[in-house]
Amino acid sequence: MTLSLENLQTRRIDPDKPLLEVDDLVMHYKIKIGEVSAVDNVTFTIHQGEAVGLVGESGCGKTSTALSLLRLLPANAEYISGQIRLNGEDLLRLDEEEMRERRWKDIAMVFQGAMNSWNPVYRVGDQIREVLDTHYRGEMDIDEQDRHIASLFSAVGLPPEMADRYPHEFSGGMRQRAVIAMALACSPELIIADEPTTALDVIVQDQILKELKRIQAELGMSILYISHDIAVIAEVTDSLGVMYAGKLVEYGPTAVVFARPRHPYAYLLLRSTPSITGPRRKLAPLEGEPPDLVHPPTGCRFHPRCPFATEKCVAEEPPLEEIAEGHRVACWHYDQVPELDMELVR
Amino acid sequence: MLRFIGRRLVQMFILFILFLSIVWLLLQLMPGDITDTLIGDPNIPLATRLELAERLGLDQPLYVQYWTYITNFFQGEMGVSFSRYPQEVSAVLWEAIPRTIVLVLTGTLLAYWMGFKSGKLIAWGRGGKTEQTFIVGGIFLQTVFYPWFAIVMLWLFGFYFGWFPIGRFIDVNLWQGSGFDATDVFQQLILTSFIAVMVYVGAKVLIKRTAGNLIVQQRLQRIAALLVFAGLVAYWYFNPAREYVWDIVWHTILPVVTLGLVTFGAVMLITRTSMLETLGEDYIMTARAKGLPKRVIRDRHAARNALLPVVTSFVLAMGTVIGGAIITEQIFSWPGMGSLFLQGIVVSDIPLVAGALAITGVLTLFAHLVVDILYTILDPRIRVT
Amino acid sequence: MATKETMPGLEVEEVEVLDSEAEATAVLEELTGGHDVRAEPLWRIRLRLFRRSFAKNWGLFKESKMGLVGLAIIILFGLMAVAHPILMSTVWDPAIYDPVSGYDAVFNEYTIVEDGAVTDPTAEISLSDAKFELNPNVDVGEVVRIPVQPAPPTLGGEEGHAHLLGTDPQGRDIFSQLLYGARAAFLLGFVAAFTTVFIATTVGSVAAYYGGKLDGFLMRTADLILLMPLLPLLIVLSAAIQINMVMLGIMIGILGGFGGDAIILKSQALSIKVKAYIDAARVAGGGDGHIIFRHIVPNVVPLSLLYMMFGVTTAIALEATLSFLGLLNIQMSWGIMINTASTQGYLLSGTSYWWLLFPAGLAVSFLAFGFFVVGRGMDEVINPRLRAR
Repeated sequence: MTLSLENLQTRRIDPDKPLLEVDDLVMHYKIKIGEVSAVDNVTFTIHQGEAVGLVGESGCGKTSTALSLLRLLPANAEYISGQIRLNGEDLLRLDEEEMRERRWKDIAMVFQGAMNSWNPVYRVGDQIREVLDTHYRGEMDIDEQDRHIASLFSAVGLPPEMADRYPHEFSGGMRQRAVIAMALACSPELIIADEPTTALDVIVQDQILKELKRIQAELGMSILYISHDIAVIAEVTDSLGVMYAGKLVEYGPTAVVFARPRHPYAYLLLRSTPSITGPRRKLAPLEGEPPDLVHPPTGCRFHPRCPFATEKCVAEEPPLEEIAEGHRVACWHYDQVPELDMELVR
Repeated sequence: MLRFIGRRLVQMFILFILFLSIVWLLLQLMPGDITDTLIGDPNIPLATRLELAERLGLDQPLYVQYWTYITNFFQGEMGVSFSRYPQEVSAVLWEAIPRTIVLVLTGTLLAYWMGFKSGKLIAWGRGGKTEQTFIVGGIFLQTVFYPWFAIVMLWLFGFYFGWFPIGRFIDVNLWQGSGFDATDVFQQLILTSFIAVMVYVGAKVLIKRTAGNLIVQQRLQRIAALLVFAGLVAYWYFNPAREYVWDIVWHTILPVVTLGLVTFGAVMLITRTSMLETLGEDYIMTARAKGLPKRVIRDRHAARNALLPVVTSFVLAMGTVIGGAIITEQIFSWPGMGSLFLQGIVVSDIPLVAGALAITGVLTLFAHLVVDILYTILDPRIRVT
Repeated sequence: MATKETMPGLEVEEVEVLDSEAEATAVLEELTGGHDVRAEPLWRIRLRLFRRSFAKNWGLFKESKMGLVGLAIIILFGLMAVAHPILMSTVWDPAIYDPVSGYDAVFNEYTIVEDGAVTDPTAEISLSDAKFELNPNVDVGEVVRIPVQPAPPTLGGEEGHAHLLGTDPQGRDIFSQLLYGARAAFLLGFVAAFTTVFIATTVGSVAAYYGGKLDGFLMRTADLILLMPLLPLLIVLSAAIQINMVMLGIMIGILGGFGGDAIILKSQALSIKVKAYIDAARVAGGGDGHIIFRHIVPNVVPLSLLYMMFGVTTAIALEATLSFLGLLNIQMSWGIMINTASTQGYLLSGTSYWWLLFPAGLAVSFLAFGFFVVGRGMDEVINPRLRAR
């Protein structure tokens, strides 16, 4: 499979320059019986050209965090505090119209379930054209748009003439490729990939991930991966954040977090997943259920399920503390968590 | 596409034959036959009755009568009306059909257009008093006792406010000695309106092909609609029959609005539900993430998909619309097929009743076909390749 | 659709694996609420299960305010229907209050004036009119009593009877007619609704279960019935044969049951037919009848109850319409009340004789509204997607 990216803009990157800084983000959902604390004090940074992953069980707030970045949350969501800075500019301070112009042009998104990302009644090409119409209004005529769409299609390994087809005429993998093509339409600086491969079979999953990685490298983009599947995250990310019950409990370089997870939840999460390449080891199930976020547990939110929990954990909330260069953990007892004898899946 | 239409046509033909057969069977249920109405007359001897029966084919075995009935219908032969003897049923109906079609079509199209728009808007701005008011109003319109509603409308706007004439199709005093024939003028009115609609549709397609931006498209379409409407008005304003056309239009408004309002409620509710379901779809989230303007998301993505169930609902609504038309014509003394049908029932004018029913069947099937074709155009997923 | 050669995989949803006997006992406790199941007759278990699911569904239904309003409306009309026979046998004199044959003349006092000098038509009458209506011996200045029909509402008094909603052009009590009409509407509505549900459930389940030619035949019949506009059809039928309330209910039920409802319920039944427990029942040796009536039908019934509510709405409106057109062989109903008013020249009387057209018209509309919104409320219970998020 050959890639042709020559028509797309390639960005020069400075790996030390922060692109997106999420600072102390707190977000609640208002529901009938109270407020769901969906994102609580989340802080992380995505640098230029970096691939960051967020993992956690479903309902842990990772998708809410992702949607927060584009301000696409449902109407009952409320930002309590924090900043989301893109190149230093706080997105939460923009008015709706300014934010709308940022969407897709600066931050694009690949949603889970590519099947449903496409409006069934329009041709795939026309749905990409819509992006160009919106963000390059009057700058491209129809022929230029067609050429651009064709180059996007070939960039993700789809025959350009398929742009004239309807979504239902695509297979699952092709649809997801087309979604990626659409995400590249405005050469965004950041792509958020929310469970990009969940509904696909393993072989297609692998192809899509490789494609994403190559495109990211060649175009100099940053990617934020959201997944419950650690294998996916491990393969493609530079940094990794583990979320639990709306909180970021551990954040660090992927290799470090994988080899030496310091938060008991991260540790147990890794232990509950089989490693294909690593040595044989016993799988430990993660017991209990995710907490009720309307009335979250006191202190550390993980304490009801934590084997290391003490009274301090029930009473006091641990801060996200830097324990090594770029490795931050929110746990009172991180030093008690044993080392995971697991080779990096990568 | 053509093959699809062909297949549908064959299916519909079979359905129609069955429908005609049921109509025929129903008519056999009606007590007695035409010769029985002559029994009471002592001046008519039995021999004459039998002769009459023979002339009318009533002495034939039932299956022959049945066959004659079916074949005659397809030759446009629906017999002679008993109550308007010696007029042919087909002639009587021919005059009434356009009036009914205009009443039903305008009312229904207006109702669907308005109902869809308001349903779309209340679903989009969900929550709040407006939505609740519209929902309650919609349910009220859908469940209100229609004859009563029509009476109240007629009383309120025709009698109490006096804005509209109390029923009927034209003001007979005005037309007397005018030299114009109501049916002719009416047909001209239909023709010109039809041409205007066609011109508008043509312009719309042209705009869609050339203008790229949706908002520009909408603006141009609005201008085109205005121009076409102005042209139509101008044509009739400078026409010698101006006064008379206005008379017909003025008589049409109240029944059309009354009939339309009931359908409006139902369409609005269906659109709202359908729109709410569509708004939960993933592609709406994608559209928002793409940074599309709100209006584009609402109209081009959500409403376009919400339209599909609304179009389908039309097939189920047909029965209600036909019933509504009959009542409307009765209460507003509108001389259409519904009025003829009811008169036919009261005076046992069997050929007239049968003819009206059969024509209703043809029109219903035609509407089904139009909906089917429309649906295939609207939904690429079921387009046959 | 073949039922024998393919055996869909036995998909089991939500299986809990119990590790120990203690755990099993605990689960059993929870399911039975601590009762000893073995000692309990089956009907009591069923009753308890029913009660529990009822409580759950009621909780969901309660969320819909409009559904509650609808329920209140239905109960109100139900009370009216019940009240009528009681009132007739206790406080109301049948000769005066019977909805069909009652008669009460309400008199108004008029002063006779010269011809052409009438200034207030509600209190004065011209001499010639008085001579015509009463007797030739009256003279100007006399105060005479002339019966008025329709009479406006009166609370009664020393000599007159109370007519809360006045009387109709034939001197009959409108309030009594209204209560009587509620009874007729309920009778008709329920006959129609039960017939619809019975037929639609059976046709839908049978078509879905057997498939093939039988399915094709039933569904084509449904298409054909959908093609028949209901109102004209009933008009022709009512001209051909004498139709009373119950017959009308059954007819509406048959036409509705074989038509659209059957198609909807069939698709519901189809989704149940492919469930694992149907295969399990078949493997366990259950016959067709057993599977249809013990497994498929009970699962289709909730949805069919929903359509029953909408069916009642349709039936009430159809009856009133046919009565309004004077085509039914019944003596009194809300439709007949409007028919009486309109055929006796009060069609456009509007607010000046409001008690002739408004009570009956509003009664039909409100009862239909009530059943409709209850149906919508039930829809929200059955279709979780519709619930407010």
